[in-house]
Amino acid sequence: MSAPLPTEAAGRPAALPRPRGGDGAPALPATRIVPDWLWGVLLVLPALAMVALFFLYPLGLSAVSAFQGRDGGWTLANVAKAFELYSLDMAFTLAIVLLSSALVAVLSVAIGGYLTLGGNRLAVTLLRWLYRWPLFIPFIVAAQMMRSFLAKNGLMNNLLIGGGVIEPLQAASLLDWRGVVVTFVWKQTPFVALMVAGAMASLDRSTIEAARDLGAGRLRILAEIVVPQVRPTLTVGLILSFVTMLSVMSVPMMINPNSPTMITVDMAYRINAHGDYGVANALGFVSYAMAGLVGWVYLRHGVRQGGAR
Amino acid sequence: MTLTTLRTLLAGAAGLALAAGLSAAPLKAETVLTVLTAGDQNMVDYVNEYLAPKFEAQNPGVKVRAAGTGPGDGGSQKIYEKLSAEAAAGAAKWDVDVAVIHQKMAGQMVQEKMLAAYVGEVKTGTLASRDSARNALGTDVTGYVLPMFHSQIALAYNPELVKAPPKTYAELAEWVKANPKAFGYNGIKGGMSGVGFVTGWTAANIGDAAKLEKGPYDAAMKPAIEKALSGLKDFNRSVTLTPGNAGTLDMLNRGEIAMGPVWVDMFYSWQADGRLNPAMKLQLIGPGMPGQPMYYAVPAKAANQDAARKFIELATSPEVQADGIVKRFNWYPGIDATYVQPKLDAQTWAKLFTDVKPDELASKGKPFPLSGYFTDIMEAYERTVAN
Repeated sequence: MSAPLPTEAAGRPAALPRPRGGDGAPALPATRIVPDWLWGVLLVLPALAMVALFFLYPLGLSAVSAFQGRDGGWTLANVAKAFELYSLDMAFTLAIVLLSSALVAVLSVAIGGYLTLGGNRLAVTLLRWLYRWPLFIPFIVAAQMMRSFLAKNGLMNNLLIGGGVIEPLQAASLLDWRGVVVTFVWKQTPFVALMVAGAMASLDRSTIEAARDLGAGRLRILAEIVVPQVRPTLTVGLILSFVTMLSVMSVPMMINPNSPTMITVDMAYRINAHGDYGVANALGFVSYAMAGLVGWVYLRHGVRQGGAR
Repeated sequence: MTLTTLRTLLAGAAGLALAAGLSAAPLKAETVLTVLTAGDQNMVDYVNEYLAPKFEAQNPGVKVRAAGTGPGDGGSQKIYEKLSAEAAAGAAKWDVDVAVIHQKMAGQMVQEKMLAAYVGEVKTGTLASRDSARNALGTDVTGYVLPMFHSQIALAYNPELVKAPPKTYAELAEWVKANPKAFGYNGIKGGMSGVGFVTGWTAANIGDAAKLEKGPYDAAMKPAIEKALSGLKDFNRSVTLTPGNAGTLDMLNRGEIAMGPVWVDMFYSWQADGRLNPAMKLQLIGPGMPGQPMYYAVPAKAANQDAARKFIELATSPEVQADGIVKRFNWYPGIDATYVQPKLDAQTWAKLFTDVKPDELASKGKPFPLSGYFTDIMEAYERTVAN
């Protein structure tokens, strides 16, 4: 989105005398008027302005208004009310997102592992073709599908009953916290698996072969040789998933809008039913805190990786 | 190669034509009447499919442009935010001509002087005499609004599973204990049918229920409201919580619950569309469940005031109320029934009162509590029941 901007800007300096030309005297004044470093600043300015205007400013505004009353004065009442009414939902949100991330980790390692170490060509091809599909389905569509798939008398239970796996009386609705976790995991696993499988494929296979020669089983190779080597990629994928899931409203809204629910639903409720932006922003603040925590891990990770290179 | 070029050309031409068409469309009509409506999709459908073609046929040169802003009070909130932003920006004309809003917001907008007092200037202004045409949750709105329709919340139940449905909230609580998880409702964050069930529960379990309806607002009622809701936490353990107004009907239809609160008009419309088992029935339980009108309002600085008044005059005429509101969309009429009933055959009229009889509606159809109490009830629910 902001990518075309720097390129457009890049066209401009090319038309002017080149700053480092130096072979003709008339070029020199231009060099002095627009020093080198300024071009760099001008180049990033459009992108920077976009970030400032459409991200930093709203973020700051929302953070500030979390601490403002309806009369504009400073107050902690919004935050107090947010914790009084929604502390359970905050814990619920964190638990759901952490559990989903953990399941995504296990499944994406399993998928990546099979793609890398799997023996059956057909199975590997089939899996490679299948696993990415949920990536192309929006959260809201996934939630709508799950709403009829996971219901008590929904498709999944009907299949299980039809197949004789469970008795009709055992059928239970999964449209509560479990439904939210199922949808999140279904939707986010391909994303992480894609990154992890890529990292696994680019590993030096000699380490795997060496382990195999020494008699290690596939599970052991995965756990002790492959996963430790792709851990940075896995961490980054999980952090991005964590933040994405934290911000989704459609899924909890459609599957489990009742208490306890995720704080995105509470934010929408405060605004829609009460016009109460203060408490909604206070909840948003809690959400930033959760995202900020993993963001910090991500940055530390990125810096460490960058330093190693 | 040539084929690709041709295709590119065609696509470009189509794009240009579309752009030209879009920019030319509003120019053709002399006036564009903008109608914003809060509420479920059926409200937008009603304006677009029924009212707009009728109005455009009667008024050549006027085009109706309708848009929905979403269900529940949140939909009205969006209309309010749009208009208040235009007011704050000092716009001379606001670009909403007719707003269809909920009671809570109507009161607020009248207090903030954002609506025009148009009712005296339309011929149908005298046809609505019910209390809700003058009083919106405690605010005097006389002259500013006309009801589009009334709707009512009632319990829908599956008569195959429930032979003797409960008649009061107290009986319902007993029934739920005996039949765990068979009753379902959508809490307070998934639509107004759940909200109405909760305010009805409060009124049924509080000493001074009339005060919630008639006022005056007294913040000292808060502890009494919390006390009235205390039983609901226990009640919720034996019920199924459903995802939304539609979610309750869906689960009822799939046989996952046997009973739950729904909007009466939605219930009948779903049955008419074949989306709900026609055997399902309704029961309005005592001491009462809430209902509400939606209001037609004209923003104070609407650009097309005359056309807006004409539009509302048509929409609140006995013919349109009979054919559109009652017959096609299964709502209770907004104007007085005495004017509407003669325009309809006896069968259609009777269908509106199949399960809920007129006298039941009169005695057990209640308004929502005053907006101050309403907010208190919602917060008490979150504090004591949900948390």
